[in-house]
Amino acid sequence: MLFNTPIFYFFFLIFIMFYGFVFLKHKPKIYFTLVSSLVFYGVWNYKFIPLLVGSAIADYFIAQAISNATTQSRKKQFLTLSVLMNLGILALFKYADFALESVADFLLLFGYNANVPTLSWVLPVGISFYTFQSLSYTIDVYRGDMKARKGLVEFTTALAFFPQLVAGPILRARQILPQFHKMPIPTWDMAKTGFLLITIGLFKKTIADLLAAPAMTAFDGTAVSLIETWTGVLAFAGQIYGDFSGYSDMAIGIALLLGFKIPLNFRLPYFARSPVDFWRRWHISLSTWLRDYLYIPLGGKNSRLRNIFITMLIGGLWHGAAWTFVVWGAFHGFIITATHYLSQMPALAGFVNSKSKILTFIKWMITFYLILLGWVLFRATSIDSAWEIFVNMHSLSGLPLPGLHATTIFILCVSALLIMHLMDSFVIHKGEKFQNKKWIFWPVLVFIFSLCLLIGEPSNEFIYFQF
Amino acid sequence: MSSSTSNFNTESNSSMSVSPRKIYFKILLAFVIGTGCSMGLIRGFTYIMDASGDNFLGRVLESRAALKKIVKEEHDLVMFFGSSMTGAGFAPRQFDQSMQERNIDIKSFNYGFGGLNPFFQDIFSRRIREEFQQNNRRLELAILEFNPFQTTITRHKRAKSLEDSFEVLLASNEEIKNITLDDPTRGVRLLTIKHLRDGVSAEMITGFLGSEFSIPRSRTEIPEDEELEKKFNEIGELLNEAFAKEYPNYVNSQWSYDWQGGGTIPQERSDETLKLFEEYYRLQNQNNHRYDDDRLSRINSADIIELNFSEGLVEAYIRLIKNFQQFSNKVEVVLLPRNTKWITNSPEGLKRLNATIKRIEDATGITMKNHQDLSVMKPTMFRDTTHLNRYQGSVAYTNYIVEQYADYLKNAD
Repeated sequence: MLFNTPIFYFFFLIFIMFYGFVFLKHKPKIYFTLVSSLVFYGVWNYKFIPLLVGSAIADYFIAQAISNATTQSRKKQFLTLSVLMNLGILALFKYADFALESVADFLLLFGYNANVPTLSWVLPVGISFYTFQSLSYTIDVYRGDMKARKGLVEFTTALAFFPQLVAGPILRARQILPQFHKMPIPTWDMAKTGFLLITIGLFKKTIADLLAAPAMTAFDGTAVSLIETWTGVLAFAGQIYGDFSGYSDMAIGIALLLGFKIPLNFRLPYFARSPVDFWRRWHISLSTWLRDYLYIPLGGKNSRLRNIFITMLIGGLWHGAAWTFVVWGAFHGFIITATHYLSQMPALAGFVNSKSKILTFIKWMITFYLILLGWVLFRATSIDSAWEIFVNMHSLSGLPLPGLHATTIFILCVSALLIMHLMDSFVIHKGEKFQNKKWIFWPVLVFIFSLCLLIGEPSNEFIYFQF
Repeated sequence: MSSSTSNFNTESNSSMSVSPRKIYFKILLAFVIGTGCSMGLIRGFTYIMDASGDNFLGRVLESRAALKKIVKEEHDLVMFFGSSMTGAGFAPRQFDQSMQERNIDIKSFNYGFGGLNPFFQDIFSRRIREEFQQNNRRLELAILEFNPFQTTITRHKRAKSLEDSFEVLLASNEEIKNITLDDPTRGVRLLTIKHLRDGVSAEMITGFLGSEFSIPRSRTEIPEDEELEKKFNEIGELLNEAFAKEYPNYVNSQWSYDWQGGGTIPQERSDETLKLFEEYYRLQNQNNHRYDDDRLSRINSADIIELNFSEGLVEAYIRLIKNFQQFSNKVEVVLLPRNTKWITNSPEGLKRLNATIKRIEDATGITMKNHQDLSVMKPTMFRDTTHLNRYQGSVAYTNYIVEQYADYLKNAD
């Protein structure tokens, strides 16, 4: 069930009627939220409900066991069990075929044609999100950052909470579990913010869908001109941003309508001035998860460059089981380590630390260019295809003059990218003031919502669902 | 809004003093009123644009309504079902007259519509089947057009934005109910389009408005002959006047039943009008600019030369034949005449066509009749690169069909 589908609208309408008017006490509310979340998930594929509930139950009891264990080694054993279980589930459903195919390809290099069977299992929606979320709970309990909570249903409900279940943001147990303990009631200000975020999110998703076609032009293997390639790459940058940040905004907005506060997941990422800055703004819940549960345990600033590289490599693999994602992660690992390395060079320190507008603009341009190169790796179907697009992006040979159509589409794609960021910037900086001007606020929301209902592209699901 | 959400203190709960029911009531009210206003704006927009399901599929829906009268006919029934090429190429009243001259008492109908690919045709054919079966009627003869370029991937992709709207307009309530049970997300979506959006989906609106931004297709390099164009248009005007004079009581809504889904026939026109038509076609045939541009348009919109078939559409076409087999005494599948002067398949395209024909034949047990290159049909009988003209092409092809099926219809029970 996607947030931008009519079925979700009716689901939510019915949900809020019962949630707000029928189930007023804590326990019934929790049970009702759990059942509704499972229905939400089950509409996609009910067969994977046991997997979701099972991993919640397992991690709940493992956390209890960690908490009750008297020795550190015993605690470690239980944590290892949780890590193996969660990563095992991920490995089985998400990476098994990739690993088997890679082995077969590797053997083929030596002339051995291995007929390796593949599982071809359906990837359960949201598995990468909820396993990471669940894992963070057992790790936090192991580290002593939080106590194991009492209340299995509460924990399962928090993990399966429908606004964030299928595409994040990846919540930490310590962020969400206390809220489920209280089952907060929203304020009217929260509700207004919620409506604003839902509308903006829906609008960004709508723009993302419109950008899918020009993005496809650059990536579908047909030879295109320089301007069409750049248009396609920019369009994909807009598509993935609008798609994912739009979904996150809607998730945060829906949670707010229910009284739950979910931290932001994007903060104007394409305005970043360095690759490091980009990862502080893009999919924040994942990058901070990787920082806290991978980078720091690896040693953090000790052997910094190595640890960053490993973290980004695994971050890339988290996005999908394909070599393009591995290379994408490695690429980001490389540009982040290179940024750190260069910033330590006395000759470049002035440039890196400069606040001058021109230099800031140059830093933004370089960063944005590198991010775009990264998106080519992310979106391309193979490394060869990515390389071809890199060449098309930089090849001036036989350059035809861009026609009116190509120029128009280029301008539209750039405008779409800019509109989404300016809109986000407005909401971040002026949103609270804006939502208090009720005579403007509501009509604007209705107008934007109407636009979203008016515009539609067939068969465009959320990109991040595949992760 | 991310700043405000990030600034929230997750441990505080300032609203505890507010009645929960009151706050949820406000949320619900904002939710319902906001959506209601938005739906109102959408309906207003589509009203101003004059966009409604009835407008998009007007003749198809009219012909569906006409089925109730058709099944009550006393005569044996013949239906020619297909695309706009059928619409242009078969004259039912001429067919009936020719049959009557042979003492064959039948009534035929032209169910050829533009814009319906086999996916939509399959759904529509189910409505026809239902009507016939509910009334215990059978078609004596069903002639189904297999249109290769309506069945291509290109054509399929271009119709994607229309799929939900057309399905809503053509599907039965039972079918939508089954879709909803099978896939609730899609089912609720279709129900919303049907009941809240007057059959007009967002995809359809976007497809229509967004066509301005699609990649411009190649245009013909053959220069336009303005003098020829002018003369052609002048005769066109005269023909319109002649129509108004010769058919003063013509009612457009009677097109699908009284007119049997076909156009005028030469037997009803004056000699003067027929001469005008001859001149009109003569000029039309000289206009290479138009024909070549139409050819390029068909290549762009339907892959008419290479014919890369859509798996989904071929399957839909097989289902369509099977639907007709359930309520017809005889089902014939034909490939309609083609304008060989302008359209010739590539060798690869031809291979793909032959493979697809074989696949359809194997799946249905019917041998397809290839009328693409009939000796009685000439390139001059086409009004563009695909459609027959009315008083030469349609007449000749209808006569050919008469010759082919007169014996069968005479001997039929």
